Amino acid sequence: MTTGEVLKTLLTIAWLLPLAGFAIEIFAGYWQKNRFSMAAAKMSVICIGMSFIFSLLALIQWGLATDWTALAATEHHGDHAAAVHHEEAGNHAKAHEPHGKEEHANTDHHEKTAHHDKDEHEEKHAVVPSTFSGRFYTLADFGKLKLSLDYYIDSLTLIMFTMVTLIATCIHIFAMGYMSDELTNDYVDHQAHKSDGSHVHRPGRYYQFFAFLSLFCFSMLGLVLAGNIFQVFVFWELVGICSYLLIGFYTERKTANVAANKAFIMNRVGDFGFLIGLMVIWTWFGTFSFTTSELNGHDIPGIFEMVRGNDGAISLTEDGNSMIFRDGEGHALKNEDGSNRTIPYTLLVVAGLGVFGGCIGKSAQFPLQTWLPDAMEGPTPVSALVHSATMVAAGVYLTGRFYPVFTPEVLLTIAYIGCITLFVAATIAVVATDIKRVLAYSTISQLGYMMLAIGISGWVAGLFHLITHAFFKSLMFLCSGSVIHGCHHEQEMPKMGGLLKKMPVTALTMLVGVIAISGLAIPFTIFGMKFAFSGYHSKDAIVATGLAYMRLNPSHIFLFFVPLVTAGITAFYMFRLWFYTFLGRPRDQEMHDHVHESPRIMTVPLLVLALFAAGCAIGGESGFLYKMLIHSEPAGVAEGVEAFAPAMLTLPSHHHIHAVHSEAGIYALIAAVTGMIIAYILYATPLVDPGEIKRQFSGLHHFLVEKWHFDTLYDAMFVKPMHIVASWCSAIDKKLFDSILHGFCAVAVKIARFDRQFDEKIVDGLVETLGDVTFSVGRSLKVLQTGKLRQYIMFIAASVVVLFILAFVLFPSI
Amino acid sequence: MNFESLLNKLIEDTLQLSLPLFSAELVLCGTIVLMLLVRLFNADKFLPAYIVSIIGVGISFAIACCDYSKLSTPGFATGEIFTGLLIFDQFTAFFRIFLLLFLTLVICLTELSGIPDREDGPDFYTLLIGSTIGMLLMISANHLLILFIGIEMTSVPSYVLVGFMKGRKKSSEGSLKYVVYGAGTAGVMLYGISLLVGLLGTANFSEMGANLHQILASQSVEGVALAISNPVVGTLLLGIMMVLVGIAFKLSLFPFHFWCPDAFEGASAEVAGYLSVASKGAAFALLVRFCLSIVGDYSSVDQFSNIYLAIGIGLGVIAVVSATYGNLTAYTQNNIKRLFAYSTIAHAGYMLMAVAALMVIMSADSGADINKAELASRCIQGLLYYLTVYMFMNLGAFAIVAFIRNQIFSEDLEDYKGIGKAFPVLGICMGICIFSLVGLPPFGGFFGKFAIFASLYEASTIHWSMFVVLCLAGLNTVFSLYYYVRILKTMFLEERPEGAPDFQSEPNLWNSGYVVIISAPALLLGIFPGRLSSTVQDIASVLFN
Amino acid sequence: MEGISLNSFLFVGAILFVSGIVCMATKRNLIGILMGVELVLNGANVNLVAFSRYSSIGIDAKFIALFVIVLAAAEAAVALAIALSFYNNHQTIDVDQADELQG
Repeated sequence: MTTGEVLKTLLTIAWLLPLAGFAIEIFAGYWQKNRFSMAAAKMSVICIGMSFIFSLLALIQWGLATDWTALAATEHHGDHAAAVHHEEAGNHAKAHEPHGKEEHANTDHHEKTAHHDKDEHEEKHAVVPSTFSGRFYTLADFGKLKLSLDYYIDSLTLIMFTMVTLIATCIHIFAMGYMSDELTNDYVDHQAHKSDGSHVHRPGRYYQFFAFLSLFCFSMLGLVLAGNIFQVFVFWELVGICSYLLIGFYTERKTANVAANKAFIMNRVGDFGFLIGLMVIWTWFGTFSFTTSELNGHDIPGIFEMVRGNDGAISLTEDGNSMIFRDGEGHALKNEDGSNRTIPYTLLVVAGLGVFGGCIGKSAQFPLQTWLPDAMEGPTPVSALVHSATMVAAGVYLTGRFYPVFTPEVLLTIAYIGCITLFVAATIAVVATDIKRVLAYSTISQLGYMMLAIGISGWVAGLFHLITHAFFKSLMFLCSGSVIHGCHHEQEMPKMGGLLKKMPVTALTMLVGVIAISGLAIPFTIFGMKFAFSGYHSKDAIVATGLAYMRLNPSHIFLFFVPLVTAGITAFYMFRLWFYTFLGRPRDQEMHDHVHESPRIMTVPLLVLALFAAGCAIGGESGFLYKMLIHSEPAGVAEGVEAFAPAMLTLPSHHHIHAVHSEAGIYALIAAVTGMIIAYILYATPLVDPGEIKRQFSGLHHFLVEKWHFDTLYDAMFVKPMHIVASWCSAIDKKLFDSILHGFCAVAVKIARFDRQFDEKIVDGLVETLGDVTFSVGRSLKVLQTGKLRQYIMFIAASVVVLFILAFVLFPSI
Repeated sequence: MNFESLLNKLIEDTLQLSLPLFSAELVLCGTIVLMLLVRLFNADKFLPAYIVSIIGVGISFAIACCDYSKLSTPGFATGEIFTGLLIFDQFTAFFRIFLLLFLTLVICLTELSGIPDREDGPDFYTLLIGSTIGMLLMISANHLLILFIGIEMTSVPSYVLVGFMKGRKKSSEGSLKYVVYGAGTAGVMLYGISLLVGLLGTANFSEMGANLHQILASQSVEGVALAISNPVVGTLLLGIMMVLVGIAFKLSLFPFHFWCPDAFEGASAEVAGYLSVASKGAAFALLVRFCLSIVGDYSSVDQFSNIYLAIGIGLGVIAVVSATYGNLTAYTQNNIKRLFAYSTIAHAGYMLMAVAALMVIMSADSGADINKAELASRCIQGLLYYLTVYMFMNLGAFAIVAFIRNQIFSEDLEDYKGIGKAFPVLGICMGICIFSLVGLPPFGGFFGKFAIFASLYEASTIHWSMFVVLCLAGLNTVFSLYYYVRILKTMFLEERPEGAPDFQSEPNLWNSGYVVIISAPALLLGIFPGRLSSTVQDIASVLFN
Repeated sequence: MEGISLNSFLFVGAILFVSGIVCMATKRNLIGILMGVELVLNGANVNLVAFSRYSSIGIDAKFIALFVIVLAAAEAAVALAIALSFYNNHQTIDVDQADELQG
């Protein structure tokens, strides 16, 4: 077997195992005997654990097959798209250039190619493809369009697989403990009330929870493995469904139902954009595949090659209004008549914005961010897995994956959306008091960071942050879950305090997460590797990219300062959470007395995740994770782009970013330390009373507590009008049509009355039998207006007349 | 040629060419006669009516399949039969298989759900098969007379089917409204036919387009656009519109939909399922044939393209209004049959969009750089795909309603609480049908919608209004989500109220098996759309050769 | 016959058609409504027969008219049967009593 086949097999097994788990578990619910045992949970833990092992094997296999070239190169050479290989298409991969050459990165294409050739001769590096793609099978042919199940495996796919399965395994194990009170036939839901005010009693749904979790893992892994954008869309919807099911898991609670609907509907709004993007791609590209695929021995270029060719640049026509499609070797694609195949530039922008629209919904970016905090109605393990670590990151993942199709204008939009999101969410997090909601807003804010990074061409920085964030955010969510479990489902921080002594493991692992997200650690060196908690490295990379971007495009000053300031805010609210919860004196003594540390089945996952949250980014830019990611970077990102028409944007190259890295690092650290110190003063010492500050700025506080009034605004803008339109339309039959019909009936009555006069005068007038006939006709006229059937008939005639008149008015000339 | 040779030729033509191709319908007629004879001789104790009918329909189905495979043999001439009254081609053959398969499924359903009882069996199946024969005429119509006869033959037995539940007030009321409304629209349509026949001088579909062009050309003055106030043009347009009214009644499109909710609520769920799919499929076949016939030779419509554009936009507007009206009105319904009635109105709207796109594409300038035949066949392809999926998902939904009715004696949504847990197979299949109706991937309904929306998008390059239609259609799929999911929510997430009457029986293996078989295609056609889509592509392309 | 133009026939047909529609929409008695249906169909028949004389369609139109007469009879039979069933359930053939189904 070739490397590609081995990888495909391993990842396919890792992908399908959770599905098998789901199938077994969901039916296990009907085997009464197993319904209230741990069997379902163990089953799903085994499945996802095996998935993790297979993913890890795949990662190692990939590394061995590529001789760990990804790690050998100290700087990515930025042109490996040419190394994207179709399995059967042969291999002419290029060796990876050593760091030194790239330091003098040159945007001149020809010169760079020369470098390549020279290197290949000199170094005789192993010639191994590092990206594998291919087709499972074809689903359908629609004319020239093919729908198929493809796979696309590069280092990003592998890292995502390993990350998702690892975190999912930890969370599954945690959930075995957390959800254990569902293991009963008479579960009492204290937060759901019947109409008479009593609590809802229902059978536990332990197996169902794990079945949904397994289905979610399957969908998420399918999304990551997908080799074409349509397949991504299918799994995209599947994770949406899983999210809906899991948010609404406590379906007896009205809030949970509302939150599930809200999440689903807001995601559909984003998906509408996604569909528009798909349509443009379908019509103009004629393919959904990411990369070159083979058909009857011919290579069909994929979307990425069509836009970016072989050198990562977008090639415009002379007038700049259209883009020329190219194939993987950089030659322009031809129409049948020999002219270049092109796409209007605006449509390319529409395609990019459309697909990004889907990402906005899924990753809870401004303006569709409001569903995510409400999604915290789901059980905490769900919040940890779905709504912080993986599913919401899928939007960022897709933005990264689809990067080659995004034009600089789209990237700028992405950057600003991310920028707005990260600031708005961070400010709300400052005033939130529900422990899970603080984390939810912090998630939105961090997702904003990732989007911002990708938008300002910090591709690696964004995805780097995605991975590190997944670890420390899932850690913190699980810690909060542990706290909630320990406090008997109390989520309000003002009732906690002083939990450090009662729950030491939880508190300390949480502290690791808090330090990581704040980017606070002081870098020091162990065994020659720079060591700092993961968040420091990734946030640093983003801020550095922002600084470089601002230097090159002075007008976009916000793209640096907003994330910088927000880094301080982040540190502030995260430490506020920690101080509030774990330090100080207990605020609710009675609850405090009953608090207990969680069982070992819940704390062990915490320790594992804490280890990764602290150390997964070890080494920073020269560490394993960063290098693995940069290996997948799309072509052309490393060199940057100079003043690209038509928006005249300059994207920073790696060289630019590197130059300002240490400077940016210092700024970020200052911001974070400031934030932490303020939090310490306010919440851990009696120096300043935070309540006083709240009173001073009560207007601002209220504004933030109300989440910038987004919900109110959407309610007024969409929900209310929708309700009005719906009620209007449902009543349309009764009110509007009936009144029209009655109008027609009135006319009919007039005619009939005339008819009656006619009858009376001419016919009955001659015969003196007026009495009973008049009576019956009169009665029939009186009830004329109530009968529906005749109104129906009247409406046939009226419709024909109205339609004909409309034709007259609208099309006077044929 | 003297009279005798003419007569001989006619007999030869009828016996050797036309009747063999008409044998599927003839077998159905024979089945009806046989069924009545069986009862006449009191043999129905040993040979129940459903067995006779299912054998007859099965034979007819086999013949239809043979005819279809015959079409692909080289040298087999397709075309007009019965001196041009009917037409036999791939399109006819496809719909014939579609309708006969559907009829078989419905007969199985009625037997499983116990409607009708043994006493009424022959009557019921006579009506069912009779109306299907009418539909088979509709799909092969090539003449305005057959158009009228087909619609009437379909409608008249359906009126009785709706009122078949004797002794139920709602049932007789529903059929009463249906018959009067149907008679009214039939009158309007006939009047339209009389106008068209008179002005065009022909009733044959293959000549109507050319004659229409000729008349319009004779009315037009050089350099002046044809005005609709010109009496000939206006009357022609009125005639076309009135014929479309008759078809719109069968499709239950917006201003002609009033019968639909009442008739569906009055009828039994089995009959409602039958009417919602079969008559809609046949009416769409007829609509496509009629529209193409008035277009005539599509490569030379330039001079009069506006008339087709106007029809296309008109259909588009009706489609959007139907979809919106159906979806929004379904929101507040409590009777589940009534809810599905509004849902069929909405789905007819979606499918009509394909025809609207077809007409707009047909109206394009021949100078424009598009391949009309390919684009147009894409529209038909989407329509056929949607109809096929719709057959399974809608029949599945109605079958489940029928089986649940047998358990709880109710068709109110409120009484559906907790049904999904008591009857998990029915519940899951309902879920499949409903997600397919919404059009979520990976269910079959998604591909149907996708194909139709895609052809709307193509049409929007010719006229912008189709883009508006597309957007509103997309918006409508969002609207529809709510009330569909509400059914599932009631079935699965709400507890069965205490004190609710017991179920009539345990879940029945036959019933479960039937709904699984019916709803599985709704899912499978979404996962493996390849085979069907290539088949319908071939069929659609035949219309434009 | 020579003095009468096509338009006159069409005019009669149109009057019959409109009267039929008005009759259907105004009559409360189901039998009256069915009479309206007959008027509508015969309005169209007048058109058809007139066209068969004056237009190039020829004898085809007359055949259509014959078929229509047959179909109208069949439809009337079914409609009367339904009327009977309605009467059995409601003890009336007043269509205004058919108001249970609405909304």
